[in-house]
Amino acid sequence: MNSPIKKILQFTIQHNTGVIFLVMLIVSAFASDAFFTANNLSNLIRQVAPVGIISMGMLLVILTGGIDLSVGSVVALVGVLCALFTQTLALPVAVAASLVCGILAGSISGYLVSVQKMAPFIATLALMTIARGLGFIFSKGAPVMVDESATALTDFGSGSLLGIPNPAIILLFTFVVTWVLLKYNIYGRILIAIGSNEEAVRLSGVRIWMYKFSVYAVIGGLAAIAGLIGTARTGVGSPNLGVGLELDVIAAVVIGGTNLKGGKGSAVDTFLGVLILGMIGNIMNLMDVASYAQQVIKGLIIILAVLLQRFEGK
Amino acid sequence: MPGKNIENRVELRNISKAFGGVAALKDVTLKAAPGEIHALMGENGAGKSTLMKILSGALQKDGGEIFIDDEKVNIKNTYDSKELGIGIIYQEFSLVPDLTVAENVFFNQLSKGSRWMKWDKLKREAATIINNIGFDINTGVRVSSLSIAQQQIVEIAKALSEKVKVLILDEPSAVLGPTEVQKLFETLHTLKSEGVTIIYISHHLSEIFKIADRVTVLKDGISTQRLLVAETDKETIIKLMLGRSLNAMFPPRNAVVGGEVIRVEDIYVSGKVKGVSLRVRSGEVIGIAGLVGSGRTETVRGIFAADKLSGGKVFVSGKKVNFRSPADAVKQGIGMVPEDRKRQGVLLPLSIKHNVTLANFRGITGKLGFVRFGEENKKSRELIKKLAIKAVNENAPVGSLSGGNQQKVVLAKWFNRDCKVIIIDEPTRGVDVGAKIEIYNLINELAAKGAAVIVISSETAELMGICDWILVMREGKVQGTLEKDEFNEENILRYAIGAS
Repeated sequence: MNSPIKKILQFTIQHNTGVIFLVMLIVSAFASDAFFTANNLSNLIRQVAPVGIISMGMLLVILTGGIDLSVGSVVALVGVLCALFTQTLALPVAVAASLVCGILAGSISGYLVSVQKMAPFIATLALMTIARGLGFIFSKGAPVMVDESATALTDFGSGSLLGIPNPAIILLFTFVVTWVLLKYNIYGRILIAIGSNEEAVRLSGVRIWMYKFSVYAVIGGLAAIAGLIGTARTGVGSPNLGVGLELDVIAAVVIGGTNLKGGKGSAVDTFLGVLILGMIGNIMNLMDVASYAQQVIKGLIIILAVLLQRFEGK
Repeated sequence: MPGKNIENRVELRNISKAFGGVAALKDVTLKAAPGEIHALMGENGAGKSTLMKILSGALQKDGGEIFIDDEKVNIKNTYDSKELGIGIIYQEFSLVPDLTVAENVFFNQLSKGSRWMKWDKLKREAATIINNIGFDINTGVRVSSLSIAQQQIVEIAKALSEKVKVLILDEPSAVLGPTEVQKLFETLHTLKSEGVTIIYISHHLSEIFKIADRVTVLKDGISTQRLLVAETDKETIIKLMLGRSLNAMFPPRNAVVGGEVIRVEDIYVSGKVKGVSLRVRSGEVIGIAGLVGSGRTETVRGIFAADKLSGGKVFVSGKKVNFRSPADAVKQGIGMVPEDRKRQGVLLPLSIKHNVTLANFRGITGKLGFVRFGEENKKSRELIKKLAIKAVNENAPVGSLSGGNQQKVVLAKWFNRDCKVIIIDEPTRGVDVGAKIEIYNLINELAAKGAAVIVISSETAELMGICDWILVMREGKVQGTLEKDEFNEENILRYAIGAS
């Protein structure tokens, strides 16, 4: 009964995200010599940073049984606002104001979902078009240049610490905080409890609305950070940034084995999901696969990952 | 077939079944003749539901044989059992909440026959089935808008919509009030006279004596010999179930009644509760009786602020309170064990420790809300021990526990927080006899510690056994208040159905 093959199979099913990650890593290494170079890896992690940072917030939202579709639009809106702010405000104030705007946008979703009891899909869909529209209004439809005096911002965007690109450091930090919250803090515990049976948690005397509100505020803040990184890297705030980003974020969380109905999910697996998604794009770029084919392959890998998760717990 | 004499409509021979190395059924034999009402009894976790799931094809047996009409059959899935004429009504509802009553009743036949829905016909035929079993439910409304009792009736109608030779009912009366149970019994008698074999799972001993012909008792996955109900008595069955004799169902209480803890004056809850007042002192256990739909549950949900009060006042320790959510009520020392354990009480996929600490984080969290795992484990183990919850350890998911132990987990949540008032809606629904007594002991302990306890129950005997006085509700109002020396089933029923 306990043949080695069976054991390997069981391990694969239990740690499916980790196994997929390792397989991807090995395949990538064989597929292209350019993959395991410092330059490419640093590029890869820089590229996944925005999706990765937001995916940690999305994980919290999905754990409560919610979803946030507005993050791509919030990234664009905050990017535009930040560029505009640099033209009139001191840089630290501009950055802080941009962050506040992101948190505010998330708080509106949070209010609609937690207090008004609107379906998260609908509330954040509405906010998605509102934020996108505001981005175009404020930017008058064209990319906004960051003020020349704000060199500290653009320097930060292209800079690195100990060889790790700054956006990647922010991603790692976000990941560690999320991991700690979910594993060691009562906050994470309550989010998971809410996702598993909201009514039972409410009847235990927990103020559900505060927790549901908070996750949307958090993801708004994280989307703002991603928007700031985008503007810092390119020196412009573009209202077209982040179209479809929410789907990449949700895909990463799903590849990480998170239950879309809530109550089950892990920060480590979500982080791996982000890297898997990034590697798919990265390796196919290195191999010169056309971008249309890339989309098809990406979708197939998502299906494969979710199919593997089905066997879990069986 | 005419002429052919069938001895046993259903025969299960030496059935065994294990889940991941743990034997749920070891050696079970059950026989039931055509037109027999056969009761299957046993404590929670004895394997009753597992056995019935094997018969209905939802689970596969590991060993043993099944015979239908004296012929050996091989039931590989639920479709096979349906073909053999086996119908089952599960403890957990199998209805689709967003479809109408009519669609649910005919759910298994919807895909057959015409491509187009004949709504009028569907609704009419569903109504006929429901009327035939003595109930009246609008078949055009969604199932989600029905009460649990009504849903149970739809479930029964669904099973009867197909021609069945064997009907299995898994605790059908758990959610029904006395009159509904009476009607159910009449239906079962009609089916019996038509030759249908009924396997009836219940924890209510009195029911068994009312309707069953024979009884098989399961204990730890092994069946005892089958008994003729007419030739046995309650004591014998309890002894077989527990493996020991039962001295008293309701242990005595040593609580000192003190001052008033909670007073409710003239409360209203959205058309369901129309001016209820009550008062409970410390150390006192009061009961609320009434039929399903009388407003019992709505009353306590209103007090606990799970639903909004539309009028009236609530006083805790003499001070007027204005709860806006259950969180406010909990803060003032009120706890509630809700009616529907699975939907409102427990987090099934999460561990025991995550469940029992849910109402009180103070003891288990340090600075900035970080969990003190050592404290948490210690506290959970204490509660598991105190309430005698049967589980591998504190990390076991609550979904893996039996109904009685799940109910203890919900109680443990409030034991983990010193409550001044504890409301328990159906304390022993779906709980076996052994665990029932343990729960009564726990209620006594809460009262002895000075809590004011409010108990709602559909089991009149239970209320009479554990309460100091009983309010009887009908149509959202308290119809009568009974003192201990006035307790009897007739008095309660008279107020409950309004036949004064």
